[in-house]
Amino acid sequence: MQHEQLEQTVKALHRDAYIWARQCCRFDDEMAKDVLQQVYLKILESKAVYGGKSSVKTWLFSVIRFTANGSMAQANAILPLLEDYDVPDEMVSGYADQSPEELIQLLPAKQREVLLLVFYHGLTLEKAAEVMEIGLGTVRTHYDRGKKNLKKLIEKSRIEQ
Amino acid sequence: MKTEHDKEIESFFAQLKEKDNEIQIPDFPKAKRQRSVNWWIPLGIAASLVMAAWFFARDEAVQSLEQDVIIITLEEKPNHELQFKIERTSELESWESPTSSLLNEF
Repeated sequence: MQHEQLEQTVKALHRDAYIWARQCCRFDDEMAKDVLQQVYLKILESKAVYGGKSSVKTWLFSVIRFTANGSMAQANAILPLLEDYDVPDEMVSGYADQSPEELIQLLPAKQREVLLLVFYHGLTLEKAAEVMEIGLGTVRTHYDRGKKNLKKLIEKSRIEQ
Repeated sequence: MKTEHDKEIESFFAQLKEKDNEIQIPDFPKAKRQRSVNWWIPLGIAASLVMAAWFFARDEAVQSLEQDVIIITLEEKPNHELQFKIERTSELESWESPTSSLLNEF
């Protein structure tokens, strides 16, 4: 794909890219802008090269995720939550006033990412696995666990309201 | 992969999307394409070469004389025989004083 063509496609995906960057940066607008700027610079300087193996959207999302993780690590913003973490069944208060953004941030990173990629951005599990650079089986595990945990959180917030 | 039970989650994400409609998306940055080659380097090299060529190729000053001179030189032939060579010229590229040998050989 020609550089100009790629630029046009990336431009068309700009809104989705910004929203995904924001989601990767725990909904921090300023950090998302910085991350996206870095991503575009990487593409412009050919530091991030589209190989044509996947769709441009999958590739772009993968570059954004990689860059955002770097920025989050620099800002010490990554919470060391275990990936096999499950929301406890017993009633814990404090979910009532939380927005969907706040609620989804309670999930471990990989569970949150796979749910956002599938339900928000409409990617298949295969594409989500490509973006997250992990195997399909692992993605399925995070997907099932994430859905179960998110349901629990939604129910708890509903009951408290 | 999505099931009936996912409807609750789908409505959760629909709510999130609706909220995201209020987000102000920053403009797509206008890319200032950098030249892949920094032209100052080849231009500098070219300018240096031109200067060097001009410096070395310029004509050496030829002195014009007011009147013709006769140059008499003594040359040695292959059979070790000495012979006078007489030339007449109006231009002198190098000049040696006829008495310069006296400075060294008196």
